Amino acid sequence: MTSKFVKLLAVALTIGVVAAACGSDEEEAPAAAPATTAAAATAQVEMVADGSLLDTVQARGTLHCGVSGSAVAFSETQADGSVTGFDADYCRAVAAAVLGDANAVKFTALTASERFTAVQSGDVDVLMRNTTWTQSRDTDVGMDFGPTTYYDGQQLMGRASDGFTANSGAADLEGAVVCTNAGTTTEKNVSEYAKLAGVNIELKTFETSDEYWQGFIDGACDISTTDGSALVGRKVKQQPADEEWVIFPATPISKEPLGPTYGQNDSKWADAINWTVYATIIADEYGVNQSNVGAGSSYEGELQRLLGGDGELQTTMGLSADAFHQVIKQVGNYSDIYNRNLNPVGLYRDGSANAGWKDGGLIYAPPAR
Amino acid sequence: MNSANSTSQDQFSSDSLTDVSKNELPPKVAALSPTEWLKANLFSNTFNSILTVISTAAILLIIRGLLSFIFNPLRQWSATATNMRLLMTQAYPEHQYARIWVSLGFLLFLTGISLAFWRAGRSVQLSQVGKRLLALGAFILLATLLAPFSNKATIIWLIIGIFIVGIGFLLKPSHEDKTVSSLTLLSGAFLLAILSLWVIPYGHHSYLSTRTPKILAEPGTVAMTTKLPWTIMFVVAMCSYFLGSFIREKIDETRSKAVLSATWLISPLFLLFLVLRDPDFDTGHLLSTDIPIFLFFSIVGSVLLLWLTRPDIGEKGRVISAAILFVGFATFLFQMLMIVRILTLVLAFFALAAPTFSGQKPARIRYTKVWIASMVILCWLITAINTPSTAKVPGDFFIGGFAITLMIFFFTMVLAFPLGVLLALARTSKFPIFRIISTTFIEFIRGVPLITILIFFSVMVPLFLPDGMDLTEIAAVTIAFIIFEAAYLAENVRGGLQSVTRGQHEAAEAVGMTNAQKTFFIVLPQALRVAIPPMVGQIIATFKETGLLAIIGIFDFLYIARSVIPGQTQYMGSTRENLLFVSLVYLVICFAMSKASQRVEKRVGLGER
Repeated sequence: MTSKFVKLLAVALTIGVVAAACGSDEEEAPAAAPATTAAAATAQVEMVADGSLLDTVQARGTLHCGVSGSAVAFSETQADGSVTGFDADYCRAVAAAVLGDANAVKFTALTASERFTAVQSGDVDVLMRNTTWTQSRDTDVGMDFGPTTYYDGQQLMGRASDGFTANSGAADLEGAVVCTNAGTTTEKNVSEYAKLAGVNIELKTFETSDEYWQGFIDGACDISTTDGSALVGRKVKQQPADEEWVIFPATPISKEPLGPTYGQNDSKWADAINWTVYATIIADEYGVNQSNVGAGSSYEGELQRLLGGDGELQTTMGLSADAFHQVIKQVGNYSDIYNRNLNPVGLYRDGSANAGWKDGGLIYAPPAR
Repeated sequence: MNSANSTSQDQFSSDSLTDVSKNELPPKVAALSPTEWLKANLFSNTFNSILTVISTAAILLIIRGLLSFIFNPLRQWSATATNMRLLMTQAYPEHQYARIWVSLGFLLFLTGISLAFWRAGRSVQLSQVGKRLLALGAFILLATLLAPFSNKATIIWLIIGIFIVGIGFLLKPSHEDKTVSSLTLLSGAFLLAILSLWVIPYGHHSYLSTRTPKILAEPGTVAMTTKLPWTIMFVVAMCSYFLGSFIREKIDETRSKAVLSATWLISPLFLLFLVLRDPDFDTGHLLSTDIPIFLFFSIVGSVLLLWLTRPDIGEKGRVISAAILFVGFATFLFQMLMIVRILTLVLAFFALAAPTFSGQKPARIRYTKVWIASMVILCWLITAINTPSTAKVPGDFFIGGFAITLMIFFFTMVLAFPLGVLLALARTSKFPIFRIISTTFIEFIRGVPLITILIFFSVMVPLFLPDGMDLTEIAAVTIAFIIFEAAYLAENVRGGLQSVTRGQHEAAEAVGMTNAQKTFFIVLPQALRVAIPPMVGQIIATFKETGLLAIIGIFDFLYIARSVIPGQTQYMGSTRENLLFVSLVYLVICFAMSKASQRVEKRVGLGER
C-alpha cells in the first residue's frame, strides 16, 4: 500500500516537473494578457499612493472616513443608517474640500482598539473618532494629529442630594463609588486624581457608556466620570425631574484635545485636512456661515484668498480654488457645525474652551495668506 | 391536512419495524382530580411543600418585576421600534428595499412548497389546544393582576384573558378524534399577529433627524412600509403551501423533492449576490473572460472526467489526476487569473476522486453533471464576489444588523460542515502526516477562545495581507468562524466515526470496496447519523456566538442594539429595552432550531434503531 503510494507520488512529481518546465513559456501568455481580478484592480489604485494619500483619494472619488458610529452628538448612526454628528460633519467638510462633494464619504465605524490599525492598513484615510491627541499616539503609534476641533476634559458628576456642588473637589470623594467605562483612559485619570488627593474611591467599570449611566441612575454609583461633553449630554437628557445632578470640578481633571488623526509623514494630505479645519474656523471669525457665504471674489483680503478669489493658495495645495468655499457652503463654518450637533445635547460654545480665541476660548487658526 | 398527516404516519411505519409499537395505544391512566394532582405533584411532603411555596413566590416576583419593567412609562420602546430597520438590515438603501422583500418572499415561497411536499406538521388534538389556551389565558389573567397597569389597561387585558380562557373551556371537552394540524394553528397565530399590525397602535413609529426630517408613520400606527410587505409575505406563504399541496399529487414526488432541496441549498447564494448585492457586471469582461473560462473548464473537465471514471482506466488515471493537481499548485507560481487556479485545483480533486465514482454509464454521467453544477456555482460565486455592488451604503458593507448575523451564520454552517468532516476523516486517517496536521489544527483552535480568533482576524490579518490584496472585515471574521466551528464539528463527527463498528469496515472491505467508497458510502452516513445531536447543539451555539461580533465592532444585531441605538441623541439610555428585544429574537430562533432538531432525530430514528 505504502510503496504504491510512494511510487505514484514519484511519477506524479516527475511528470509535474516536466510539465512545468515545458509549460513555463506558455504560461507567460495569460500573464501578459489583461489579467485583472478585483485584487489586481485594487493594486492599480494603490499604486498612486506612492505620491500622497490626497492623490489616491481624488483618484478614487470617495473619502474613507473612520468614525465611532455610536458616540452621542459626535458620530451617531441614525435609524436610516446615515451618519450624523460633529465628527461626521468634519468628514463631510474634508470631502467637500478634497472632492468638491460633501456626500462623497464612506463612513467606517471603528472600535477604539481597531482605529489605528484601520489607518495603517489603509482602510480609512482619516480618523474623526473623538481621538485624544497624546504623546504616545503621536510618536509610538505612528499617527499625526490635525488641529484640535473640540477641547474636552474629564469631569465628575454627582447628585446634589449627596452633598456635591459645582465647587466639590477630590477631597469630597472619600469612599464614593465611581463609575466609568472599562478600558479607557478615564479610568486611569480618576484613580490618579484620587491618589494625588489621598482619598479612597471604589472604582466600578462597565463595558458601554450606556450601561454605567444606567448604574448611576439606579443609584449603584455615587459618581460617574467621563469627558465633560458626555456628562452635559446625559444631564440634559436623562436627569430625572426629582434629582439635581452637578458637574465638578470646574477645571477638568484631564486634557482631552480631540481632532482629526491620520497616518504620519504625508504632509500634502495633512495640509489638506488641517486647512479644511482652519477654513471653518477663519470663516467663523469673519461671521461667514453656510447661509450667507458668497463667491470668493465678493470678499476682500483673507476671505477672498480663502474662498477662492484672487491670490488664492488652494491650487498650490492640490485642491480646487473654491475648495473651502464648498466646505462652508455644503457643511458650514465651525459655529454651524458645533451648534447643529452639540447644542441639542446642551453644549454651548459661549464661555467654554471651544469659544473663539477673541471670546476667551482656544479655537484659533493661523492666518490664510 | 389531516389526511396528509395520516399518510406520513403510514410512510414512517412502513419504514421501520419498531414503529409498529406506535400504533398500539398505551394503556389509559385515570385522570387525577385537581386536589389529588396538587397533592401528588406539589405537596407530597413537607420539604416539597416548602419548596413549592418558595419557588411560586419567586416566580411571581420575577413576573411582576419583568412586567413593571416592560410597561414602565419611562421605557423608551420607541427606540427599538423606530430603529427596527437599522436593527434588521443596518443601512440598506430605502429605495432598494424591495430587494429584501423579494428575497424573503422567495424563501417563504420555498418554505410553503416544501411544507406541502414533505407533509410537515402533526395533528394536534383539539382538547390539547383547549388545555394550552386555558393555561395561556390563566397566565394572562395572573400577569394582569400582578402588573402595575392603569385601570383601563387592566380591564382590557382581563377581557382578553377571559376570552382566551373561554375558548379553552369550549375546546377542552372535545372528542379525542377531533384534531387540527399544527400548521393551521401556526398560520392562525401569524394571521392574528399580522392583522394586529393594521389594528393595534403599537407606538410612536417615526423618527425625526435634524438633517432630513422624515416621518415614517403617523404617531401611534405601524408604518405602511412594515405592515404591507408582511401582509404580502403571509399571503405568499399561504398561497405557495396550497399550490404545493395541489401539484404534489400531479408530478413525480421524489424528483421534485430533490429539486426543492437543491434550490434550498443554492438559492441563498443567488439571492444574496443577485438580489441583495446587485453586482454591477461588466458585460465585456464577462463575455471575453469569465464565460469562456467557464465553458472551457466545463467541457474539457466533463470529457476528462467521463474518461477517468471508466472502470478499466487503472493506474493511468491516477497519474493524470496527480499531474493536474501538480499543475494546479504550480499555477500559483505564475501570474494568472485566480479563477483559473481555483478551477484547476477543483478539477484535480474531482479527477482524484473519479475512481471512487467509476462504474456504468449512468453513474459516470451523473458524476459529470455534478462537476458541471459545481462549475456553475463556483464561477458564479467568484465572478459575483469580484464585481462591485451597486447597493451603496454609508457603512462598510451592503448589509448589516440581523441580516449580517444570519449571513455569517449561514456561510459558517455551509462551509464549516464539509471542512469539519474532512478534518475528522484526516484525524482518523492511517497516514501520520494527515493525522498530525489535523490533530494540531483541531487542538490549537480548540485551545484558543473564539473571541481571540475573531480579534486576530479583524485587527491583525489586514496588516499581514500582501499589497493589493484586500479582505473585508466581514470576510475575515467569517473565515475565523468557519475554522473555529470546523474544529468543533470535526470532534463531533469523529465521535460518530468511532461509533461505526469494526464489522461495518470489514463488511465493506469484503465486498471489494476501495477505501474511499467505504468511507463515503458505509462509514460516513452512519457516523453522521450518530453525530446529529451534538452537531445540532454546535449549530445553535454558533448562532449565539455570532453575538461576539459586537465586541469587535461589527454592526451586527447585538452591537446595534447595545451601542449604536443608545448612541443616538434621542435614545440615550435605551440599552435595556433593545437588549430585551434582541434576547427575545435569539430565544425564539434557538428554540425553533432545537425543536427542529428533535424532529430530525426522530426522523432518522436515533436511539430507536
